[in-house]
Amino acid sequence: MKQIQPRQNYLGVGGWVWAGKYKLERYLYLLHRITGLGILLFLLIHLVMTTIFRIQGQDVWEATMTILHNPWFKIGEYLVVIAFIYHGLNGLRLILQELGFALGRPTPPIYPYQDSLRKKRPWTIAMVAVMVILAVVVLFDFLVGGW
Amino acid sequence: MRNTYLRLLHLVAGVLIAVLLGIHMVILHLDAILGFFGVDATEPTSWGAMISRAGQGIWVGLYIALLAVVLYHALNGLRGIILEVTPSPRTERIVTRVIIAFGIIAFIGGAYVPIALWTS
Repeated sequence: MKQIQPRQNYLGVGGWVWAGKYKLERYLYLLHRITGLGILLFLLIHLVMTTIFRIQGQDVWEATMTILHNPWFKIGEYLVVIAFIYHGLNGLRLILQELGFALGRPTPPIYPYQDSLRKKRPWTIAMVAVMVILAVVVLFDFLVGGW
Repeated sequence: MRNTYLRLLHLVAGVLIAVLLGIHMVILHLDAILGFFGVDATEPTSWGAMISRAGQGIWVGLYIALLAVVLYHALNGLRGIILEVTPSPRTERIVTRVIIAFGIIAFIGGAYVPIALWTS
């Protein structure tokens, strides 16, 4: 007899964005994924640049650097730095909370419900604040030294 | 159980990347701010600065270690996303093999160049 299998992951990629009411942490997770894929794309370009182009000597290296000093690449680089900062800080939060730190005690499910993550929302807000500060510092460095 | 260990390694690699990439980013990109604090940072992406770093064993070791943990973290993350979107034992086999092969090739290519520049 043929077994009926439940459909796995039937929402697919659309479910990343919407599958009912998502809370803030769920959207932070979505952004974590998007920044991760973006950083992977950067990593591939970066590896090609620092291996295939670098081994060919000074002229090729300096020509590559001239291309990379184009303002559009600078904007892209800034976005990569922001993605690094976000992915790193949110990843640190995810690791801590997965291991049970910064979660708070569980409470009985009495309306209005308070889950453990939302009781510790100040930590999340603090993480976003640190991220904004670092983003401004890096922007300063880009404007002063990079252009 | 295997995926649990892969995920645990993913977390450990993430922490290592935070440290190693932090060093890499501060030295190579925060030159204006390092200069403000009195650290002499000549244009770090110039050929001369790059070659002088490439001649120091500590940088070669740092880059190869960073390459290894970043490749593991990135490719394991990509594998997780692909398997979540298309779950089946067949995709799992194919994706795992392709990703391992790609990771090994990228690691060999990425480790060869710093070693070649260091020994030349």
